[in-house]
Amino acid sequence: MAAPAHPTTPPAVGDMAPPLSLPTIGGGHYRLEDHRERPVLVSFLRHAG
Amino acid sequence: MKVLDRRTRIEAAGGEAVFVVYDEPERLRRGILRDLDPVFPILLDPDRRAYAEWGLARASIAQVWLDPKVWRSYARMLLREGQRPARMGKDTLQLGGDFVVGVDGRLMYSRPQERDDRPAVGVLLKVLEEARGA
Repeated sequence: MAAPAHPTTPPAVGDMAPPLSLPTIGGGHYRLEDHRERPVLVSFLRHAG
Repeated sequence: MKVLDRRTRIEAAGGEAVFVVYDEPERLRRGILRDLDPVFPILLDPDRRAYAEWGLARASIAQVWLDPKVWRSYARMLLREGQRPARMGKDTLQLGGDFVVGVDGRLMYSRPQERDDRPAVGVLLKVLEEARGA
């Protein structure tokens, strides 16, 4: 499987969160910027098998 | 996966959670979701564009598979908890990470993986509580 091209440096504490807008497994769509009323844990899984 | 089923504690901490994956939904259902009814959004990133935008790279083979901590962790799962390691995903070198985004859109916590390690759930809950109060 091809790796994603040119990963950037991970954001540090105090940085603005990078964009996150993706489809959900349930068929919906999630945009992080629409969820500002509470802090959000964003967890990227290493592998999910 | 130790946090997918922690809805009550995450909500009690005043936060919410989303999980980003790149494996196919069917593989997920056979793997980490096989015994869980996910209560948080599971976001699909098959081309790993979001992984790249959040700076999450691929590890070397040595980082992941020659790390004694990985093998100790799997041994603990087998011996103490009676769990078999989940079926491997399609790219075992892709690294993940955990981030907490505050209500202003800024990072309150940033923990990209350097190998197959994750922070304790308690650490993440504490950050969520602090972020809620910030």
